[in-house]
Amino acid sequence: MNQPVPSTTMAPPEADPSPVISQDLELRQISKCYGQQQVLHTINLTVRQGEFVAIMGPSGCGKTTLLRIIAGLEGIAAGSVVLQGQEITQLPVNRRNTPMVWQNFALFPHLNVRKNIAFGLTLGSHRKGEVRQKVQRMAALMHLEELLDRRISELSGGQKQRVAIARALITEPPILLLDEPMSALDPHLRVRMQGELKRLQQSLEISFFYVTHNQNEAFSMADRIVVMNQGRIEQVGTPAEIYNQPATHFVAEFVGNNNLFDGKVTDVNGTIITVQCPQGKIHTLSDQPHTPGDNVTVVVPADRITLADQPGALGNTIQATLRGREFLGSQVIYLLETTAGYEVQVIRQEAFSQSLDIPIDAELYLSWRTQDTVLLGERS
Amino acid sequence: MRLSLNRPTRPPDEASLLKYFCLAPVVIYDSLFFLLPLLFLVWIGFWTVENYQAVPGFSLTNYIDIFSQLFSRSRYAFAIAQSLWVAATTTLLGLLLCYPFALALAFVVPPKLQRFALVLAIAPFWTSYILRLYAWQTVINTNGLLNTLLMKLGLIDAPLQIIFTQVGTRIGLLHYLAPIMILILYLVVCNIDVTLLNASKNLGATTWQTFWRVLLPLSKPGLVYSAVFGAIISLGDVLSGIILGGGTGKSILGSFPLFSTVIFNEYAASTNLPRTSALATLLIGIMVVILAAGLQFSAVEE
Repeated sequence: MNQPVPSTTMAPPEADPSPVISQDLELRQISKCYGQQQVLHTINLTVRQGEFVAIMGPSGCGKTTLLRIIAGLEGIAAGSVVLQGQEITQLPVNRRNTPMVWQNFALFPHLNVRKNIAFGLTLGSHRKGEVRQKVQRMAALMHLEELLDRRISELSGGQKQRVAIARALITEPPILLLDEPMSALDPHLRVRMQGELKRLQQSLEISFFYVTHNQNEAFSMADRIVVMNQGRIEQVGTPAEIYNQPATHFVAEFVGNNNLFDGKVTDVNGTIITVQCPQGKIHTLSDQPHTPGDNVTVVVPADRITLADQPGALGNTIQATLRGREFLGSQVIYLLETTAGYEVQVIRQEAFSQSLDIPIDAELYLSWRTQDTVLLGERS
Repeated sequence: MRLSLNRPTRPPDEASLLKYFCLAPVVIYDSLFFLLPLLFLVWIGFWTVENYQAVPGFSLTNYIDIFSQLFSRSRYAFAIAQSLWVAATTTLLGLLLCYPFALALAFVVPPKLQRFALVLAIAPFWTSYILRLYAWQTVINTNGLLNTLLMKLGLIDAPLQIIFTQVGTRIGLLHYLAPIMILILYLVVCNIDVTLLNASKNLGATTWQTFWRVLLPLSKPGLVYSAVFGAIISLGDVLSGIILGGGTGKSILGSFPLFSTVIFNEYAASTNLPRTSALATLLIGIMVVILAAGLQFSAVEE
């Protein structure tokens, strides 16, 4: 499978504003197979200098494989990896300087914190004084000064993560690879570490290549998000772009809190397109050419829908029956049934008391503004 | 490798009673047939002999006798030195042979074939030890298989003297020890997280550096346990030293018997059972020291 596989879902190559070496990492036409099964299909991706890129996707989508390919832990069937203008595709793991923060941290249990951090420096011909100085500086940066003489088994999850990051950064790499580094932390700590990690990345001005299946992590830290599915890139964009303009059905569903209505185009009036869905007529906007009869999907974000007991005046209205309700502090998630078996989610910022008024099985009207919708083509 | 002992304490319930019930046979068996005879052996070491009769009592006579003969008459010190030398070299050789094998088994052999390969490696253990020693005799005899072959090939002019030297003893011991050492090493090595080896390379370490700085330190428990095992078995074994080592096999220390052989011969002569017991107690003491040292140094953490 060495010839490039044409991919329709691949994101278009982005126009780089400055063609000088402004990208740290470039993945060109990367394909990867396990036996007969192709797990990566001609992946093209650039990471700009100092950029925080999150690779997001369900398990098995190839995101971790991509990370391991960059680190040299996996071979590839075709393509090339270019780090700061230098092709490293053929370089062995230990000569790439692409350190990784591992999912379970992979700290050396036989070494204390200090020796773990210093590991990368003690392999070459660094002078002892220099090593000590650099470790001290890194420990200060990661708030680990007090822990330098501790054993690894004596550290908490958060401390282990800081040691893992310090150990990876000690050789001053151009890029840091992170493989779901938060998954071993408890949820409370995760939120705090997200902030710390983003601040660290910004202060160091190095690129982070962050693999996660967790949307919150990707959205809260990344400059750009790459959504992957089944070995292909579905969409590349800023968190806002991914959230507001999902490019594919997969992204719209994976990113969550979106309602998808399948239907047929009945009317095209400039950019306003009318779609006949089983739930009713829905108006949407698109700058893509559409003709009546096209099979399309309208994406309506759950947090843009208002609920009322009368038809609203927001441009689109469909009827639904309230089936369930979930309180999440200030947010309330409503589950409603439109046509039989089809569930719609609505998220409202609402005071607890007000939401109590609506009884289960009440007939309600959902309405939303036409400009809040996104139109997707036919499901592939 | 520290075990967590912070199990919550609970009042004894049926489950814990069952636990004691399950433990009981082992405890009773070990107490009756191992611990008690052992204590008896140590106790007899303090008896005396009067008119060719062992007399119970508490006397240090045997130990005084033994220590006064360390370098004269029975020259026990030479036998102890020979034993320690043979045990140490056998153990070291065992590690040098079995550790690479265990590593290959854990990291090179495909996982599906590992169990099978392990069974093959352990299989010799299921054949009789004495039969194996006699088989080795025919191989390493002066006119044996090995010498005949080497001479036919023109590699040597005169037969090699392997049998009735401590080299022969070591061959017999190694054949006995290898399966057990491989098993211990494999069980430790195959539990080493491969991610740690990848992490080492990812941080810039060569394969060689990864071996010395990560793999070897993480293998330490396996190396120490199998070394302790090998040393204790080598010190205690009599058969290889007699059948292949010829009783007073030659080593670079000279032609001295192993300490175990000395004890065996004194027991066979049965002139002074209390003193033989004292000698055996001495050997057990050496083994306990080795075991304690091993347990002390087996931790992975610094």
